[in-house]
Amino acid sequence: MPEAGAPEPIARLVQEFSKLPGIGPKSAQRLAYHVLRAPEDDARALARALTDVKEHVVLCDTCFYITVQNPCTLCDDEQRDSSLVCVVEQPLDVLVVERTGGFRGLYHVLHGSLNPIDGIGPEQLRIQELLRRVEGGGVVEVIMATNPSLEGEATSMYIQRLLQPLGIRVTRLARGLPSGADIEYMDDLTLSRALEGRQEL
Amino acid sequence: MAARPRVYRAEGVILRRRNLGEADSILTVFSGSEGKFEAIARGVRKARSRMRGHLEPLTRSRVLVAQGRNLDVFTQAETVDAYRRLREDLDASAEALYCLELVDRFTVEREPLPELYALLVTALDLLEEGNGAAVTRHFELRLLALLGYEPHIDGCVLCGERLPEEETLLSPAVGGLVCRRCRAEAGGGRIVAVRVVKLMRFARRATAAEFVALAAPPEVAQELRAAVADLVRYHLDRDPNARRFVDGVGALERKD
Repeated sequence: MPEAGAPEPIARLVQEFSKLPGIGPKSAQRLAYHVLRAPEDDARALARALTDVKEHVVLCDTCFYITVQNPCTLCDDEQRDSSLVCVVEQPLDVLVVERTGGFRGLYHVLHGSLNPIDGIGPEQLRIQELLRRVEGGGVVEVIMATNPSLEGEATSMYIQRLLQPLGIRVTRLARGLPSGADIEYMDDLTLSRALEGRQEL
Repeated sequence: MAARPRVYRAEGVILRRRNLGEADSILTVFSGSEGKFEAIARGVRKARSRMRGHLEPLTRSRVLVAQGRNLDVFTQAETVDAYRRLREDLDASAEALYCLELVDRFTVEREPLPELYALLVTALDLLEEGNGAAVTRHFELRLLALLGYEPHIDGCVLCGERLPEEETLLSPAVGGLVCRRCRAEAGGGRIVAVRVVKLMRFARRATAAEFVALAAPPEVAQELRAAVADLVRYHLDRDPNARRFVDGVGALERKD
């Protein structure tokens, strides 16, 4: 809703900012007035960054990670092990796994997780694409790195069952205690799985 | 409605979660004492949240809730049952999610339905023990009965006449079985076998465990499933979303 009294361009900017997640009407106003006072170059850079994102960023045809080139730099990297595919829910999850530096395989981004009650089914995710990719050959192991939530687990189990006939190895990230956590407050599910997955010191 | 205390306790099953802002979630809980209610779990999406694992959907938890200005806020949560085996089984998870969605769709907030809560817990316990779709059938039929949607199956719902031992029309619109003579007035429905009617009658008096133990033949179970689905669809005016998932998971299994 345009702000009463403010000049039209400002009101429009406030309105656009308030569409962003986590930005209420007050924050939107503050951002808009900040842009107004900022140097013109900054404002242009912001505008260009916004339009570039929409114009140049696409989804990789193979792994559906966000990219400016197709296939993406990850899929295109010959140093990486293409027989390993790590399945994640969101593009940001790729960055997080990459940051660990411990994974040298490829990814597959589902863009969500199954949520049967909200009506998010397999056809809304990149699950068929994963199946075709694996059917295409060369994949030895699929690592399910979906969230350890009800939806993430359901997604993993669903994909596991889907890939089962192909006879490839489907693994799941281990579950355990997060660093810095308190055993006292740990939920039974996590604790019992951590106990099962205990390791020699 | 009587004023609730500023801080109250409840034991319930987490039906669903939706995210709020950066790290909060709004959870829908179905409890015995409060009925269905929503409350905010603050910071529950952070890795170090103390309540996180205790407030996952499909968990039975004891919670402490503080009244807020708009939405109430969870202050403590402790798992009663995480239904671990159920969660690790795709078919059982699908059945359980379907039951949770039914409860969510058929109930209104803050209406205590202790019997329905007991029914839900029993159903989840039975699924946890490795039982299958029969659990859901009993749950659906008992839920309909508890909420006043029980179909009339002791005679023709229109003329009251006793029904012969033969296949009969089940009409959700008029609310029960319809004899041959009244069929024209029934407004559609499904012809069901005698064995399906008998199964529905059995579900009325049997506990969930007894109903599951009966182990109806697959073709009868399939027919009952379709008949009950008609009733659910009629009263909700739609199919629950999770039904498609149950079907999809089932189809996957039959392929291999």
